[in-house]
Amino acid sequence: MAEMVLATGGRRRVAWTWLGLCALAGLLILAALLRRPDLPGDPETVRRLQEALLWHSALPRIATALLAGAALGLSGALLQRVLRNPIADPSTLGIASGAQLALTVCLVAAPGLLAWSREGVAFAGGAAAVGLVIAMSWRRKLEPVSVVVAGMTISLMAAAASTALILARGEYVLSVFIWGAGSLHQQSWDGAIVIGTRLALGALAAAALMRPLTLLAVDDASARSLGVALVAVRVLVIALAVWLAASVIAQVGIIGFVGLAAPALARISGARTPSQILWRAPLVGALLLSIADSLIQVSAGSSGDLIPTGAAVGLLGGPLLLWLLPRVKTTTPPQAMLRATTPRRAHPWRMVVMLLAGGLLIGLVTLTLGRNGQGWLLAQGDLFADLLPFRAPRTLAAAAAGALLGAAGALMQRLTGNPLAGPEVLGVAAGAGVGIAVVILLVDTPGTLLLMAGSAAGALGALVFILLMGARTGFGPERMLLAGVALGCLCLAILSAVFAAGGWNTFLLLGWLAGSTDRVGGLEALLLAGATLLLLAPLPLLARWLAILPLGTPVSRALGVPVVGGRLTLSLLAALMTAIAAFFVGPLSLVGLLGPHIARLLGFGGGVAFLFASAVIGADLLMLADWLGRTIAFPYQIPVGFFAALIGGPYLIFLLQRGDARHG
Amino acid sequence: MSALSRRTMLAFGLAACAAPGTVARAAALPRVAVIDWALLETLLAMSIVPVAAAELVLFRAVAVEPEVPASVVDLGLRGMPNFEALRMARPDIIFNSAFYTQIDPKLRLIAPVETLSIYARGGRPFTRAEEAAHGLATAVGRPEAAEPLIRQTLATLERCRADLAARPRRPVLVINLGDPRHFRVFGPDSMFGEVLTRLGLDNAWTQNTSYSASAPIGLETLARFPDADLIILPPVPPDARRLLPGSALWQALPNVRDRRTYLLGSMNPFGGLPTATRFARLLTAALLTPGGNALG
Repeated sequence: MAEMVLATGGRRRVAWTWLGLCALAGLLILAALLRRPDLPGDPETVRRLQEALLWHSALPRIATALLAGAALGLSGALLQRVLRNPIADPSTLGIASGAQLALTVCLVAAPGLLAWSREGVAFAGGAAAVGLVIAMSWRRKLEPVSVVVAGMTISLMAAAASTALILARGEYVLSVFIWGAGSLHQQSWDGAIVIGTRLALGALAAAALMRPLTLLAVDDASARSLGVALVAVRVLVIALAVWLAASVIAQVGIIGFVGLAAPALARISGARTPSQILWRAPLVGALLLSIADSLIQVSAGSSGDLIPTGAAVGLLGGPLLLWLLPRVKTTTPPQAMLRATTPRRAHPWRMVVMLLAGGLLIGLVTLTLGRNGQGWLLAQGDLFADLLPFRAPRTLAAAAAGALLGAAGALMQRLTGNPLAGPEVLGVAAGAGVGIAVVILLVDTPGTLLLMAGSAAGALGALVFILLMGARTGFGPERMLLAGVALGCLCLAILSAVFAAGGWNTFLLLGWLAGSTDRVGGLEALLLAGATLLLLAPLPLLARWLAILPLGTPVSRALGVPVVGGRLTLSLLAALMTAIAAFFVGPLSLVGLLGPHIARLLGFGGGVAFLFASAVIGADLLMLADWLGRTIAFPYQIPVGFFAALIGGPYLIFLLQRGDARHG
Repeated sequence: MSALSRRTMLAFGLAACAAPGTVARAAALPRVAVIDWALLETLLAMSIVPVAAAELVLFRAVAVEPEVPASVVDLGLRGMPNFEALRMARPDIIFNSAFYTQIDPKLRLIAPVETLSIYARGGRPFTRAEEAAHGLATAVGRPEAAEPLIRQTLATLERCRADLAARPRRPVLVINLGDPRHFRVFGPDSMFGEVLTRLGLDNAWTQNTSYSASAPIGLETLARFPDADLIILPPVPPDARRLLPGSALWQALPNVRDRRTYLLGSMNPFGGLPTATRFARLLTAALLTPGGNALG
């Protein structure tokens, strides 16, 4: 009885809150409408212009904000339902980045295709991204943390590829950045009509799929026994969600995290059943985006909005993710993936030595083999001596950074028991990027030292943040991963806002983001190599912790391993390794993920040999990527981060898929 | 005078011994490499042909003039030049700007670096471009080469100003379309803004835009400038080209309706004196063509 009274009281309060929010949105819309500028000129022209502005700009913008918010809210709700994942949305699943990459590729390579159908291109990119994310996390049974970590990885890969394209074809840079920071400016009803029809169709389809969607709440076996064609329903719903998100991205660009926030707020407002959430999330999304956009319009100065709406909303994404973290259930036992994928090697160190020898060979090739205007060239004698000051530092830097990232990835994967945990998702590298962005915003032509200081401060800030977040949960590995993803999201949102402002000096930032070894000087390379040796040296001492900690807190306690201290030490070491590598050569995505996987493929099951094998493989990979990036399009250099993603991405997915039959 | 390296002196000496007269004079030019495009075009306009320069594929498409001789070696991306290609081009001096200053330490391993920045805080890019021309000419040991270029530039501007004098006095707005919904505008402190002033034209955008273009602005803001002639700089994104003619708001703009929008040829938004000349020439030709030519 008391419960029922409480429930009605709560319902009334919720109703008032809704009414209040709607009133707020309405008032802000009015304020934005009233705040339109005075126009000069003769009265007749002004009247007609004001009319055109009202009917073709102001009102469509209001409609677009509402409809895009609703479409994103529905998309997020569908994704969260079908993946049983409270932190799934078009941004965390990489749909937004995939769509943006597809649009960028088309802009550079096939502008005709883009003029023909932006929506189709965005859908293809988003669908490819979500397909990759699902493929990568399939063996983890689409468990929420893995899905989001895979989404972050895909986002970073897509960002690296976009960056390389933008660097190579600077002329269209502006369009790409405007998409990246989604802006709701409108000059016709086209956008509102397109998004509106998609939303209506999407809502109809969602209604038709309501029964199977409700049944998806139970586990797969029960759903199947109730007659749900699981795979078909999942594919359909995901396609629907991607389509909704892609139509919004194609029209107005990336609006981050509305899809994440809307279902979460709907749940807070008391929506419990799947159908309640599915109907309420679009409403919340519409209100959210409308309020945000009206605020942006009201605060706009005479030279336009202070910050694009999409970027502003995106800034909320990081904090929101952090706040949602406690709701994420981590379901899969962490040990599932840690076995070697091939029979364990009897003499692992012999293999490490062979890998080292391979590295030396690659090093020799990168130092001697290159190109000139005419063709391939094996540098000997004087030419070798001439080119050595340029080739040696970058080769050394690539090797050292690769080793750091490989070792950091191995540490992270052992510690979290999650095969998708790369050092990149710690957010440390993205933090370094934000540090550089701040320097660039404050100083017109910053020197190298200042840039490095900025990157160090950013990485350090991110590190401290992750550790603080971790400290609250006893450095639980899953929580730290998610905190890293949240921080990464926040940093990426900040970067896209900086890019949208688009000064020339954002090219500095692009160069760093793309990952580049060729700027590293001789002294810096030696410093980096020294730091690498220093950070790799303590690994043998940590072998015992690393073997025991993944077994869980009770086991570790029983065996006398300090759980919190151990986790803190290992995470700190991994984060330091990542930060130092990012500091010298930029965020080189994927090397840290790939190294440990290849090591496992080669039969390294764990222990110190596994760590060192991962490090050496990372070094080999990055040297190879660096050499290819330097020579393949001579004299034009392809950023090494792009190359690593291009070679490594497909291979990683292949690796993660492999052995499905054995484990799955 | 870091230009006169040991190798230059040696080359000069050898050439003087080997061949008389004019050949010796040509050999006296040091081998020049250049990273920044504004400096590249300024050098070319002074008939100083560098041995190597960055990102020539895009330069030929975007800056268009002056023409780059085939002998100039392409160094790859400006922000990420290929140091090996640069080393093999054996320059005696490298010209760079503050845009790409982070590669200076590496460049110094190859040859002395001379940094000349046209775009920097404090603005006045045109004045700085003149200074850069002097700086370049002096650094290659031909200080007299700058004056003709500056004279030529000022003469072109003067001619354009005279041609434009007959035109009814209307402000102009120099913009670049980002997509069908956004534009950037060049303020009075940009190179184009300074050229407008020198041509006797009023810039409709009176705020500074930190010596280049502003951040993207919604297209509806154009309604605040019904009197201004719209000068559109390329590139025009393909979807803007497709969608704008059908956009009700775009068509309602007085400047569009009265066919006062002008699409100019491609140019480098961070150029030097040759870009100033090109902008003035193309702008004058466009404004004197009745009926506009762009995206009606």
